[in-house]
Parts: sequence; structure tokens; C-alpha cells
Amino acid sequence: MITKTAWKNVWRNKVRSLVVIASVAVGIFAGVFAVGVMNGAIDQRADDIFENEIAHIQINHKDFRSNNDLVCNIKNVNSIRDQIGAMEEVESVCDRLFVAGMANTARKSVGVNIIGIDPREEKYVFGLYKELEPGTGDYFGDPEREELAYIGFDLAKNLNIIRYEITDEVADQLKTAGLPAEISGGIRKFTGKRFDNEKSFKKAMRSVLTEDQEKEYGKLILETSQTFRERARFTLTFVDINNHQTGGVFRVGGIYNISNSMYESSYVFVRDHVIRSLVELPENTAHKIIIRLKDVDDTKAVTMKLKSDFPELEVLGWREIQPDMALMTDMAEVMYGFFMALILAALAFGIVNTMLMVVLERTKELGMLTAIGMNRKKVFRMIMTESVFLSLTGGMVGMLISWIIIRITSARGINFGSMQEGFEAMGFSSHIYPDIGIGFFFIVTVLIIVTGVLSSVYPAFKALKLDPAEALRTE
Amino acid sequence: MKVLELTNVHKVYNTTHVEVHAVNDVSLDFEEGEFAAIVGPSGSGKTTLLNMIGGLDMPTEGKILVNSTDLSTLKPSALIDFRMRNIGFVFQSYNLIPVLTAKENVEFIMSLQKWPKRKKDERTMELLEAVGLKDRVDSRPSRLSGGQQQRVAVARALASKPRFVLADEPTANLDTKSTETLLDIMEKLNMEENITFIFSTHDARVMKKARRVITLEDGKVVSDERRK
Repeated sequence: MITKTAWKNVWRNKVRSLVVIASVAVGIFAGVFAVGVMNGAIDQRADDIFENEIAHIQINHKDFRSNNDLVCNIKNVNSIRDQIGAMEEVESVCDRLFVAGMANTARKSVGVNIIGIDPREEKYVFGLYKELEPGTGDYFGDPEREELAYIGFDLAKNLNIIRYEITDEVADQLKTAGLPAEISGGIRKFTGKRFDNEKSFKKAMRSVLTEDQEKEYGKLILETSQTFRERARFTLTFVDINNHQTGGVFRVGGIYNISNSMYESSYVFVRDHVIRSLVELPENTAHKIIIRLKDVDDTKAVTMKLKSDFPELEVLGWREIQPDMALMTDMAEVMYGFFMALILAALAFGIVNTMLMVVLERTKELGMLTAIGMNRKKVFRMIMTESVFLSLTGGMVGMLISWIIIRITSARGINFGSMQEGFEAMGFSSHIYPDIGIGFFFIVTVLIIVTGVLSSVYPAFKALKLDPAEALRTE
Repeated sequence: MKVLELTNVHKVYNTTHVEVHAVNDVSLDFEEGEFAAIVGPSGSGKTTLLNMIGGLDMPTEGKILVNSTDLSTLKPSALIDFRMRNIGFVFQSYNLIPVLTAKENVEFIMSLQKWPKRKKDERTMELLEAVGLKDRVDSRPSRLSGGQQQRVAVARALASKPRFVLADEPTANLDTKSTETLLDIMEKLNMEENITFIFSTHDARVMKKARRVITLEDGKVVSDERRK
């Protein structure tokens, strides 16, 4: 009966209760949705790291990470790889050569990590081959072309391999994409002119676009106008195992784009036997053995086993390779909980205020209830239940709305295009697919109940202090 | 059998400048089944006396025994429990819970005592029938007239089968017809269930029905008249 009365009491002053419910709903929606976006971004980043950058476990020579020296390589790599590949938890395994060097074109030189890979084996461990920018090549598709390299989008921009050009075809594409005629007319004056880098192209566009037009259509124009120098040539220079300066001429066989500008600008992939012969590394050696597991949760156990099987090598799980990501995923739930607790703490003041008004308005009624035999515990419970109902109703509405919005946006994603550079500089995609586990809704529900209970404590104590005889005299 | 004994009861309120003697050396006994009215002008101490009998207020001096229990010896929680089981209250302004129906208002006290549902339903219907509101069980107080609300209040007061009912000016807000109906119902319940009724009133109609009339003046009993 107390629960039923508390629920009915919530609706005694409909407008006031609806205002509180709405504020809780908005607060919870904002919090849950923001957490959904953050969680989606972190999950995407984690997936990208496993899929494109580090996989789950890496093995290298004990001194490789500190020296980064070609001689710090793993011997008998084929047998080690076969042994690891036979483990039940392992899905696939590959090895890589790592050579520090410079990528050079006629106009630019950029420091890079040159990775020697077997493209066929790599496909089983990494999904980087799927990130090929359309029209830029075919990921080592031509077995006859030994000099092919797979480079990142940002490196391609830095080396001026990506250019910008307004052609009639580009103008038509922009028109189809919805570019207004007056803008289209303005940029047509650059037809036939080629821009070697993004900076000079943007400068030219600014001369014909207003600030608002640039904000709205700048990215579309930039992306549509991109052209690639097919099979563009560039050189890679480095030192060989004997510390002699050497290098080779390579051609771009494909450009990958993974929303991590730092990775894109520094990792160049070439065929392992090509780089091996250039640096004069012996056969059956590698700098890293990289392992993809069937289940990422087995990382710790498999790492421990490999450490005991290969004590002379350094075995690193993804947490040790990317400690910042490990910290982020470990702290994520705590951070989300803390974030929601902060929002609820702010909302709690509104609930306390409402419940204080409730006690004040019902002084006489509370006096009557005590007079007819409702003890302090039950009075406390009734006020507490009312406060919990008030916050929980708002919370449920907020969670329902956020769940619906997250469901919709998780399918389509949210494009933070205007902040793309900032996101990609941190390794995050600017197109985020919000996502949140059902467990988080459970945590939020518990937090809402706790907020409701805590918000009722002071008003309930006020109610308990009432003298029934005096309360009954109030009008 | 005595259900209530008041011995040399005093109640003094200390205000900033003066000491107000609201009840002054009152000694009274009430037998089971009495239908008594405490009368007197405003400020004579009727409500204060009723509050002390009901354990809502404590005397400054003297002793009140309800069913041989000295209320001043009970802890606050035990006192609330004692009130719930032994005393029914009817208030001048009805004081029903506005969000509950007539039935739920009557059931409320039984729910606090965790009565089984069937027993609770039977008792509620029996009481609402006794006060003539069987057809208004699902009406909220706002849908009932003042007289009907006070009848629900009487039914609620009797719900947990108390030994006596204290009614503070129960007819003050009622018209003549509603007053008569209410008094008839209370008298009938008094006769049939042998429940002691003690009213505070200055309503002549209530005084006329009462079988005992105690008159207070300045906190003192000036007359105690029993009628047949």
C-alpha cells in the first residue's frame, strides 16, 4: 500500500512532477548518448588497432624495441611461426621486417617505418588490405611488380602523390552531389589547373568561396577533386645490416586510409623479400612475429605461455604494446559511471527541492499518518519510494530515448567531419557509430535508484521531525 | 471495565512571555462503550486533552492510562504502534489521503498492520456498508461530499478494531443532515460493537446525542454529566 500510495503521490502535482521527470530524462539521455558516442569511438579505435595496426600479440628480439636495430632479429622464424600457428587459441600468424628509413619524392622527404611483409600471409592477420582507397591500386595485386608499396593516405599527401584538380568530370560529380550552381560556376575557373598539395588547393578555393560555403561544401569539393598519381614513383632510403646507406625505387601500389593520421603518415608496406635483399638480412629471420587470436580475451593466457616457450624473446600482449588503449578500455566503464554520477548529482538537487516541497505541502497529511499509526520507518519509506519513482520514471524515459537514438545512429553513424583532422590525429575515426552494452543501462538504473534514495534522505528526515499534534494543526 | 484513566493531568505551554495552562488538573475515567462529548468554548483545552488521550501529546504532569498502559512509558515507535492498534482518530477536516479511493483509505491502516487481503477486503466492505458508502468504494475524496468524507474517516478510524475512537470536532464542517447521519452511524457502531467514542465539540447536536457530557473551562473540568 505504501508503494501504491507513493506512486499515486508522484502524480498529485502533475506539472511539477513532469518538470522533474523531464529534467531527469534529458539529463540521462544526454549522459547515456554521450557515453554511447565515447564508447563507440573507443570500441572502433580498439577494433582498428587489432584489425589494422598491432593484432593481439607480438614477439620480437629482446633488444629490438630499445635499439630498433636490424640485427636485433628473430632467428629460425619459420619454425617458431609454425609452432605458434599450431596453438589452438591462435587464428593466424605472420612475420614482419622493420626498417627505419626515409620516403622521398622530388619535392619531399619524410621519415617512415618500412615494413616488409608477405602480402598473402598478412591478409590472414591484418585487415589493412581492406582499407584500400578506391582507385589507388590493388594491394600488391600484380605479382610481377616487385617494387610496389602500400602507403598511407597521409603519407601520400605529404609526398604530394595526392593532387587536386577541377575537371569537367569533377564539376559534374559535384553538381550531382548537390553543389549549388553559383559555387560550381566559381570553382570552374580553376579547370585545367593542378594543385600539388591540399594547402594550395584550399587557398585557391577560399578565393571563390565564402566562409560559410567553405564550411558546408569545402570537404566535398576537396574529396571530389583528389586525384592520384597512378603508380607514382618514390624512393625509400635506409641503412643495411652493415650500416651502409642504401635504398630502392618503389611505386605506389595502393593507398590505405584508416582514420589514424599518425599511422598513415609513417608506415610503408613493401614485399619482405625485396627489403630483405636490400638490407641484406639472412633468410628465415624477422623482426616481429605477429599473432591474431580467435578470442582477444585469451591474450593474457597465450602471452604467458609464449613467454615460457620462448624465454629468449620478448612476448608482448596488446596491453603492453598499446598501454594507452589498455588504460582507456580499462577505465572506460569507471569513467562512464563517474560521468553519469556527475549528471545525476546535478539532477539530485532538483529532486531534493521537489521532495522538500512535497513534505512542506503535506505536513498535515504526514501528521495524520503518524497519528493513525504509520511509524517513522514507513513514513521514511513512503517518501523515499516517491523520490525513487520520480527519478526512475525520468530515468526510464531518458534511457528509452537514448536507446532509440543510439540504435538509429549506430546503424548510420555520426559524421564529425568538421573535426576530422583532430579525431584522426588521435587515431580515432571522425565517423563514429555510437554503441553501448545493455549492462550499462543496468548500471545507470542502479545509479538512478541510488540518486532517488539519497535525494529523499533530507526531506524524509524533515518529515520524521514533524510533531503529529502540531502538524495536524497546520492549514 | 475502564478503558481510560486520567489522573491529575496538567498541560502547560511555555511561550516567550507567559505560561499557558491548557489543561489543569483533570482526572477522568472512561468505561468501555461510552459515547462521551467533551465540550467547552474555544481555548478551553478540549483538543489538547484529546491529543493527550490519543498519545499525540504528553502531559506536563499527571498520568494517562489507556487499557492500563501508561502512555508516557512507551517509546515513540511503541507509542505509534499502540495508537494504531488501540485508538481510532476522526479529525475535523477529514484528513483522508486525497490520492486514494474510499476503499483504499479505509484499507490503509490494515495494510500497515499487514492484514491478509481477504480479511482486509471483508472488513473494508463491512465498514463502508456500515457508514452507508458501499456504492462509493472507488471514489476519491474529491468526488465525495464533506459528510461522505467524514463517514469514510469514521470507517478508517474503526478499521483496525480499536478500543476507542477520538473525534476532534467531527461535525464542525458538516451540514445538519450530514451531522445527523454521521452521529446515527457512530451511535450505531457504539451500540453494536461496544466501541468507546469520545468527541470534542461545541456542536449542540452532538451534545444532545452524547450519553456523557464533560464540560471544560480554562483547562478544568467544570461539570461531568451522565445521561441515560
